[in-house]
Amino acid sequence: MITVGIVDYGAGNHASVTHALRQLGYKVRFGCSADVLDMVDVIVLPGVGAYPSAMEGMESRGLVKYLRKQAAQNRPMLGICLGMQLLATEGYELGHTPGLDIIPGKVTPLRSPRWHIGWNSIEHKGRDPLLVESDREIFYFNHSFIFDAPEDYVVAVSHHGLQFNSIVRRGKVAGVQFHPEKSQLAGNRMLKNIIESLYYA
Amino acid sequence: MTELRFCKRCLYGSDHPLGLVLDDEGICSGCRIHEEKDQLDWQERWNKLRKLVQPYKSVGNAQYDCIIPVTGGQDSYFIVHTVKNLLGLKPLLVAYNKHFNTPLGIANLANLRIRFNCDIAIKNVGLRTVKKLTRSTLSQFSSIYWPILAGHTVFPVEAAIRYKIPLIFWGAHQGLEQVGMFSHEHEVEMTRRYRKDHDLFGLEADDLLSIFDTLTESDIWQYRYPEDWQIKEVGLRGIYIGNYVRWDPKAQHEEMARLYNYKGAHLNRTFDTYDYVDCFNYMDCHDILKLFKHGYSKVTDHACREIRHRRLTRTQAEALVRAYEKRKARYIPQFCEWLGIPEESLRFLLDRARNQHYWYKQEREGWVFQGWSTKRVNILSESQETRGLTDIHAEFVAHSTLEHDHDPKYIVIGKGYSEKISS
Amino acid sequence: MLKKRIVGVITVKKGWAVQSIGYQRYLPLGRPETIAENLDRWGVDEILIQSIDRSTANQGPDYDLIYRLASRGLNTPLVYGGGIKTREHATAVISKGADRILVDASFYDHPEEIRRMASVLGAQAVIASVPLLFTNSGIALWDYRTQRSRGWPSACAGLLTDSIVSEILVIDKSHEGTPASFDISFLETPFLRGSSLIAFGGINKPCQIKDILDMPDVTAVAIGNFLNYREHAVQELKHSLPKGSIREPYYELLHS
Repeated sequence: MITVGIVDYGAGNHASVTHALRQLGYKVRFGCSADVLDMVDVIVLPGVGAYPSAMEGMESRGLVKYLRKQAAQNRPMLGICLGMQLLATEGYELGHTPGLDIIPGKVTPLRSPRWHIGWNSIEHKGRDPLLVESDREIFYFNHSFIFDAPEDYVVAVSHHGLQFNSIVRRGKVAGVQFHPEKSQLAGNRMLKNIIESLYYA
Repeated sequence: MTELRFCKRCLYGSDHPLGLVLDDEGICSGCRIHEEKDQLDWQERWNKLRKLVQPYKSVGNAQYDCIIPVTGGQDSYFIVHTVKNLLGLKPLLVAYNKHFNTPLGIANLANLRIRFNCDIAIKNVGLRTVKKLTRSTLSQFSSIYWPILAGHTVFPVEAAIRYKIPLIFWGAHQGLEQVGMFSHEHEVEMTRRYRKDHDLFGLEADDLLSIFDTLTESDIWQYRYPEDWQIKEVGLRGIYIGNYVRWDPKAQHEEMARLYNYKGAHLNRTFDTYDYVDCFNYMDCHDILKLFKHGYSKVTDHACREIRHRRLTRTQAEALVRAYEKRKARYIPQFCEWLGIPEESLRFLLDRARNQHYWYKQEREGWVFQGWSTKRVNILSESQETRGLTDIHAEFVAHSTLEHDHDPKYIVIGKGYSEKISS
Repeated sequence: MLKKRIVGVITVKKGWAVQSIGYQRYLPLGRPETIAENLDRWGVDEILIQSIDRSTANQGPDYDLIYRLASRGLNTPLVYGGGIKTREHATAVISKGADRILVDASFYDHPEEIRRMASVLGAQAVIASVPLLFTNSGIALWDYRTQRSRGWPSACAGLLTDSIVSEILVIDKSHEGTPASFDISFLETPFLRGSSLIAFGGINKPCQIKDILDMPDVTAVAIGNFLNYREHAVQELKHSLPKGSIREPYYELLHS
C-alpha cells in the first residue's frame, strides 16, 4: 500500500486531499519533519495563498533544504496549485521570491483575465503516457498566477485567454495547477494516475 | 444551547430534531405550512397527481406500475386504496419485517393484501444480523429503531430497481407534516438526503462501519442505498401522496376502518389508536427513548397534529401530553428477551440516553424531568372550558388490542410449520 | 475552454440549513453537512454556504460549521459566507477548509478590509454578495440589516474597478424561493458592468438558466431551495441544458 505524506507548511487545509487519497486506498501521513516525510512513498505539497508567505513558511520549518534534497534523491513528489508553483525557480507575486527550484521556470501573474476560476479542460502534450487518460478531462482551477516552464517539462496545458501550463513534470516530481481533490470523479482518477505514475517511475 | 422557545399555536419547541423555525408572530413553520391544507385547491392538486401518474400506467396486465411500502399499522390502507382504487395503478406491496410485530399488526397486514388482492414482497434480514445491529445502535446512539427505519426506507428502492418499477408511493412527508420543511407546492419527492439526514439521523449503513469495530460489511450491506446510476437507469421517483391530497390521518383511518376493516387499538403512551399498532416497541421502549433524548414523545406529535386540525385546543392538547408522556413502558421484558440482554442492562442503557438538557438526577428523587411540557408554562392555567379527556379518547376508536387474539409476543414472519427435530 | 458553473447554495440559520424565501421566510431543511455531501455526490460545480445570521448577531464566521463541512472531505470547491469582517477572519475561514469566501456586510462597511483580504488570499478567493431590488428610483442595493434599500457606495465601485473581488453574487432578493422569477435585468445593472457575475434568487427552470448563462458577463448560476425537492436535481438540470457550456452530469458509482 502506497503511503502519501502531506507537507504541512502552514498554507491551507488538507481535509479534502487527505480524504481523496484515503478513498483511493492510500495511507496518509501529515507533517513537516524529516522523521514523518522520510517514511512516506510519495510527498504531496498542497497549498493556497501567497507565494512569499508560503516560501517563508517552508523556510522556517527547514523544508526548503529538505525538499530540494529529496528531489535530488529522486523521491516522488506532487505539488498542487500553489504547491506546484513553489517547485519553480522563482515567483513574482508581491515582488521577487526564490522558489524551491526543483522544476525550472518562473511563476508570473495572469494579466488578462486576471484570474482563472472554475472548471476547465487540460490538453495533454504527449509526454507522459500514464496521464493520457486525463486528456480533455475537466478540473477545478482557482489561481491568478501561472508557471512558465521550458517545453520539456510541460505535460499538459489549458486555455483561458492565453495558453498556460496545467501539468509540469521533471523526473519523479510533478505539479498540477488545478485541484484534483476538488475535481470530483475526474480529480480522483487523476490523483490515482499521477501518484502511481510517480511512484512506479 | 440557544434559548428554547415554543410555538404559540401548537406545542413544538424550537429544538425539534427535524429543525423548526418560529416566525415574527411566534408561529412555527409546521403550523404555517399546515395552513396550506385549508388554502390550497385540493381538487386541482388531485388532478395534478392523476396527470403525473398517467405515463406510468402500463398497457398490459402483467406488469406492476408502482411500489407501495406497507406495514400493519400506519397509512398503508389509505395509500393502497388511493393508488389502486382511485388512481387505477397496479401496485406491488413491499414490507420490511421489523421483528417487533404485534398480532394485530400482522392481522392488519394480512387483511390489507387480501382485501385489496395485492401481491406482496417481504424483506426479512437474518435475525442474528438484526439483533447485532440493534445492540450496536442502542449502545452507541440510544436507538433501537435504526435497522427498522433503514430497512423500511431502503427496501422499496431496492425492489423498484430489481423489478424495474419507476414509481414508489409514500403517504405524507414527515418533515413537511411536522415542521413545515416544504410547502405542499414544492411537491417534494423521495431523496437519499432526507433518508440519511432525518430517518437515519445522519448515519447511513456504511457510516456504521467506521463507528463500530464489531460490524462488518456483511452486517450492513442489506441496508445500503442503491447506487445513483441504478436509480437513474430505472428513472425512479418516490411520490408523497400528501402533496396532492389533504392529509388527515384520523379521518383517513376512520374511513379505512369503515371500508376495509382496518383495526386500531389503545396504546399506553398516546391517545391515538390508529398508528403504530403493528409494533410492540414503537410506542413503548422507542417512545421512552424519544422522551429521554428529545424531551418530548410521540403523544406531542399527535397532539400538535390535532391542534392544527382544530380538533383540540392547545389546553386540551397540553393536558393529554401530560397525561400520557410519563406512562411506563409495558413490553420491556419481551424486548430484552428478543435482544438477549438482562433488564438491568437495558435500564442502564436507557438512563445513559437521558439528555442533560431535559433530565437531571437528584439524590433522593432520582431522575427529574425538565422537558418540553415543563417549560411550556401557564397553558393549563388558562381559563377555558375543556371537554373531558375521556370524551377525546372516545373519538379515537380501538377495534382490538395489540395482542389481538394472541399472547403479547412478537409474531415471527415466515415461521412456517415447525416440527421437533429428533436427536 | 472555461465552463460556466452551477453553484449549489446552502443557507444556514442558527447552524441549521433552511430554505430562504424572499429574505423573510424560512423553512427548516436539515444538517448543512448532509446537504453539502449530497450536492458533492451529485456533482454540483461549487457549493456556497451562507450563514445568514452572523453579522446581525455580531458574530464572526461559523468556524465550527466550516470544520464540520471540511472534515467530510468534500471533493467539491466550497465557498463560505457569513460574519467575515476582517482579514484574519478571511484567512481563518480558508485555513479551516473553504476554498473561497463570500463577503456581504463588510463589503459595504469596510472596503479597506476587503483589500487586505484580497492581498493575502488573492482576488480569486473573494466574492461579493450584492442583493438587489427595484425601487422608484431604479435598481438599488438591499441592506438586510436595516431592512432598507440604499444606493451603491462609491468605495465599492473602487473595489470592482481595482479587481479586488473576482466575482459578484447578484441576488434577486424579492424572488428568492419563487420559481422561475429571477429578474434578468439585474445582470445589466450599470454599477456592475465589467464584473463577473453569479446569478441567484428564483432560478430553477432550464430555459431561464440557459438565457442567464448566455450572457457574456455571467460565469455561474446559483440555486438554493430548488435543489432540495427531487433526487438528482443537479444532474436533471444539467441534462436539460445545451451541451458544451457547463460540465456534463454524472451518476456516481460508489461500491464496485
